[in-house]
Amino acid sequence: MLPLLAELAADPATTMLLADSGDGVIGVTFPFLAGPAVFAAVYGGIYRYYRNTDKRHLFEKETDVAVGNLQQQDRKVGTNNRQRSRSMSGRNDTDHLERVRRISPG
Amino acid sequence: MSEPPQRPPWARPDQPARPPQGQGGPVPPAPSGPVPPPPPGDGRFPAGASGGATGAGQQMPHWPGQQPPSAPAGGQPLLGDEAMAGAADAARRGFADRIIDTSSGRDDGLNKCPRCGSTDIHYSLTAKALFCGYCRNTWNEENAEQAFGLDSSIAELRGHTMASGTSDVREDLTVVTLKCQGCGAEVVINVEQQTHARCHWCRQTLSINSQIPNGAVPDAVLPFQLTREEAVQRIDAFAGKRKGFAHGRFKREFVPDNVMGVYIPYMVVDGNMHAVLRGTGEVTTRQYTVRVGSGDNARNEPRYDADVYSVQRAFDLLVDDLTVESAARYSAQDNSAATNNILHAVQPYDVENAVAYNSHYLKGFTSERRDLNVRDVDDQVEDKFLAIARAKAGPTVSRYDRGVRWTEEGVAVHGTRWVTVYVPVWLYSYADSASGGGLVHYIAVNARNGNTMGSVPVSHPKIFAVACAAGTVAAAVAAVVGFGWFLMG
Repeated sequence: MLPLLAELAADPATTMLLADSGDGVIGVTFPFLAGPAVFAAVYGGIYRYYRNTDKRHLFEKETDVAVGNLQQQDRKVGTNNRQRSRSMSGRNDTDHLERVRRISPG
Repeated sequence: MSEPPQRPPWARPDQPARPPQGQGGPVPPAPSGPVPPPPPGDGRFPAGASGGATGAGQQMPHWPGQQPPSAPAGGQPLLGDEAMAGAADAARRGFADRIIDTSSGRDDGLNKCPRCGSTDIHYSLTAKALFCGYCRNTWNEENAEQAFGLDSSIAELRGHTMASGTSDVREDLTVVTLKCQGCGAEVVINVEQQTHARCHWCRQTLSINSQIPNGAVPDAVLPFQLTREEAVQRIDAFAGKRKGFAHGRFKREFVPDNVMGVYIPYMVVDGNMHAVLRGTGEVTTRQYTVRVGSGDNARNEPRYDADVYSVQRAFDLLVDDLTVESAARYSAQDNSAATNNILHAVQPYDVENAVAYNSHYLKGFTSERRDLNVRDVDDQVEDKFLAIARAKAGPTVSRYDRGVRWTEEGVAVHGTRWVTVYVPVWLYSYADSASGGGLVHYIAVNARNGNTMGSVPVSHPKIFAVACAAGTVAAAVAAVVGFGWFLMG
């Protein structure tokens, strides 16, 4: 189904049809988007429910940790205007397992 | 077994140059721009600490009883080869401040009931205690933390402190000869497979009671709490909910009564460290819509303006009882041969309730020998420390509604404490011969709190058929909706 969609998208006639026909023609794409999306969601959901490949111990939240002596510095360095996305690019504040460049605190 | 790292990057961290208490001030350079308002308190960081570390004269919060920083200037070697050699040397010279002796003091051989002297002892799941089959005496060993002083303040940890059960594993130690103190017979035990044997002359039970350096004897044991029947019930219920799309062969061969009680070795690590994170954060200053396109394609799209901040957080962390697998076979880092993530997922264990090692706790269960040393897992522990630091920094950057991109991170470890503990798991394993490499699927029950997790082999044709059916229905519905959309367009 995906190759068919790719072929359709690459066809100049499709582009012209979409360009000329306004918003209504977008409805033609609904079944081609909804079908594969539901297929992937159902397949992935059942597989994950049975295999639990994503399960792990959330040690970073469940380990007993005491925190103190907090020091923080926040310095404005510029602006980033007219962004399309609600989130900044490359944000990783919720991905605790992703490692970045190591420094030696000191 | 993996090659031990020669120079682990965190082994010789420089101690952070902490400002004098009372003068405040951040570790990083003084801010040169406006400081945003403090983030809302999360209960973890006292209000006095938030946002104010930049101001001179501001007091930073301390742990109760914390002394003004008197950390030695310059780096303190931790867990490097030199430090490990130094610790071993200190142990040889009897310096108990680096190596904590957790041995039972008993000789190998007879391990007797304290009341009647019998060796007919096993762990009773109904009594939740060691049980003498001769005089019916029940007892438990002393809590390991209290018995060996492992509950001392983490804030006072300096250098690395290792319980004696964490010594490097010797792979060549496979056989031990025990002399029966009852009759004088010599009995050979394959200590790779077992830690008990019957004297073939007088029928007394002989055990390995000393910490032989093959990884088979930990510092402490967390005894089973859940009975076998409770575990079978939980495993049966777990698999019962997953029968519909399970592989046919699994459904035919599934016998929950085949569950086994297994002691799995873990390293339990306490850490006293200072963490620093640096990155960039953005705060939305304006949200608006713009008109893009032309003619029939003209539409409104949202746009966001944001202020960009350089963000830095530095704080002290006291990590208590972080657990790391110390048997390569069960390492959660490798799921290629077995679904080890399942064993990882049934945590946590209440390792603070572990008791001093007594070989009779292992009788009737299987136990996996530790085959990873401290140096084999210290990189993994460092990653976990960093992950904890990142998680704990989260509430302090909540004002950055567009998120934060951390670009640099590090921990300076002032002190660590390492202990090996056997934790109890009821384990059902199923070798899926249908998969290429014969993947072993586990269904595991945490034998302390009952946490249950598992992996059930699936029938891909069945899932494919159902997913196709659902996709077709969704496509049909979408076609009707899309046709209506087309007519209205």
